[in-house]
Amino acid sequence: MQIWAIIIDSFRESRDRKMFWVMLCISIIISLTMICVSFEPGRVNFFFGISEFETDIFTVGHQVRPETIGAVVVDFILDLMMNRIGIIIAIIATAGMFTSMLRHGAIEVLLAKPMSRSKLFFARYLGTLTFIGFHATIFVGLTFLVMGLRWGAWLPGYLLAIPLIVLLYSYLQCISVLIAVVTRSSVTAIMLTLVAWTAFGGVQLVDDLFTTFPQWQRYQTVYTTARTVRWIVPNTADIGLTARKWAGTDSVVEFMPASTDQEKSDRDMAMRVETARLNVPTMYTVGSSLIFELFILLLAMWRFSKQDF
Amino acid sequence: MVGITEMTNWAVDMIDVRKTYGRTVHALRGVNIQVGRGEIFGLLGPNGAGKTTLVKIMMTVVKPDRSYGTILGRPLGHRGKLAVTGYLPEDHRFPPYLTGNQLLDYYAALAKVPRAKRRDNAKRLLDQLDMTKWANTRIDKYSKGMLQRLGIAQSLMNDPELVVLDEPTDGLDPVSRRQVRELLLELKHRGMTVFLNSHLLSELEMVCDRVAILVDGLVARQGTLSQLTEHTIEYRIQFDGDASDIRSKLLACRATLDGHIVSVPGHDLSRVNEVIDLLRNAKLSIESVQPHRFSLEDLLIEVMGQQEPVTARAVNMEDDV
Repeated sequence: MQIWAIIIDSFRESRDRKMFWVMLCISIIISLTMICVSFEPGRVNFFFGISEFETDIFTVGHQVRPETIGAVVVDFILDLMMNRIGIIIAIIATAGMFTSMLRHGAIEVLLAKPMSRSKLFFARYLGTLTFIGFHATIFVGLTFLVMGLRWGAWLPGYLLAIPLIVLLYSYLQCISVLIAVVTRSSVTAIMLTLVAWTAFGGVQLVDDLFTTFPQWQRYQTVYTTARTVRWIVPNTADIGLTARKWAGTDSVVEFMPASTDQEKSDRDMAMRVETARLNVPTMYTVGSSLIFELFILLLAMWRFSKQDF
Repeated sequence: MVGITEMTNWAVDMIDVRKTYGRTVHALRGVNIQVGRGEIFGLLGPNGAGKTTLVKIMMTVVKPDRSYGTILGRPLGHRGKLAVTGYLPEDHRFPPYLTGNQLLDYYAALAKVPRAKRRDNAKRLLDQLDMTKWANTRIDKYSKGMLQRLGIAQSLMNDPELVVLDEPTDGLDPVSRRQVRELLLELKHRGMTVFLNSHLLSELEMVCDRVAILVDGLVARQGTLSQLTEHTIEYRIQFDGDASDIRSKLLACRATLDGHIVSVPGHDLSRVNEVIDLLRNAKLSIESVQPHRFSLEDLLIEVMGQQEPVTARAVNMEDDV
């Protein structure tokens, strides 16, 4: 009853923020825009035939291939809207939710209730995930319906992107929460979370460069450090790939132009990185990220439990 | 220790509560307070005396450096008993996006109150505090007085055995204050223990059975109102005429002259009679003799005057070292 009450309250609080409605509008606009596009063998129509261009990318034989449409949705629309813009909006919108709970005059009432501080902390943390959970469900749900009803591309595995988006957000939210508990400042929490996210991406980029250019691996110390750090910090970059894998769509790398030697080389390098990433079991990447998340959360909870208010 | 404390009949029995912020700010320096079951208890003291810290320790918001004793028969800090304790903090900030009804339901759910009871209690308390028509309005539209009344309702949603109210009448108009006073007395009649922290001494005087005065992190006085004021009576004698000729004689009797009123401190009637004789011998007409019981305010000021400032005490300690 207590956890549920806190989760409901957190959702009410997130609903009270303007960002909530901005995000909802973005999801609806993108879904409506997708409705205006249709795929036919050999061509793509925009705005119900007003504009079109010819392409064979989506056509196999005389039929449109759903998995290829799905690849575009997952790798471009979902990746851009939810894994990037959506996460940034969620970080900004929810950073204040922990600090608002910790404010003088608010925390006293909560701490005077018959529940442990750790329970209050984790319930509130789960509550902050409701923002992204709601929007991921709306966005993925709407785009799933558009793909199925409008384009005939029913990809049930695509719905698994919902927990994956929440997972990605939770990797970052734990850092936001730790900073909020320590500093009680929303702005600091937002800034440092974005810095951490960039740092995670940087670590993964460095590691990918060693895969792209195997000859660099002779710098053993740097290579080993990059590999180790990559497995310590959350694998934020792998979430999109996992979403595509679970949705069962094609890889957009396959459609990269390869008419010149340079283009072929670029595509081979991209394939090498993707293959290397896909070879790592999902449970391993998610598991190591969750260990990091759990460690940060325990640190934040310890700090919260020891504080006087 | 637990065996002994479980037998106590005190609702609140705090022993040697100490709290230091950082290394230098000694908020509480060994507070002992006992509150009987079913009584209204008032905590008073000047700003910075440690009242709010003590209340927060009772409600597990602040962790004491050292404390013994019990609240509702369980050791201080026991979370289970918070289910039957209500609390209204000072300067509370409730979530502005909730309506009055939602707020009461939310906090009562956190206090593990079943849904049906939450609904009934919310309706009853909002009605009792004249808030029914605002029940479904977002609380960011509420006035300070309305927020305060809602806060009081919130603290009573779980039908507590003990309710701790930190400045409950803050921001309330006189009518609402009376309403709250009546509510407190009703709670007392229902057997509830009320722990009040207020700087409005007249309010405390009207409702409290017992009070404690906290000064510089220590309980300076504690007891019933009559116990605390029985040794601090003065008699005021009003007369007609000019008493300047006998001023020195009055001073010799430790009486003070202020216009047409002579004040005789203490409750020694023989001294009062002595002063009356002086006045009558000077051909002055006695208009009235009234015993004057000190108010809580007088008592507080007197107690504060007797206390040595903490800073001075700290300096003395350093000198000793």
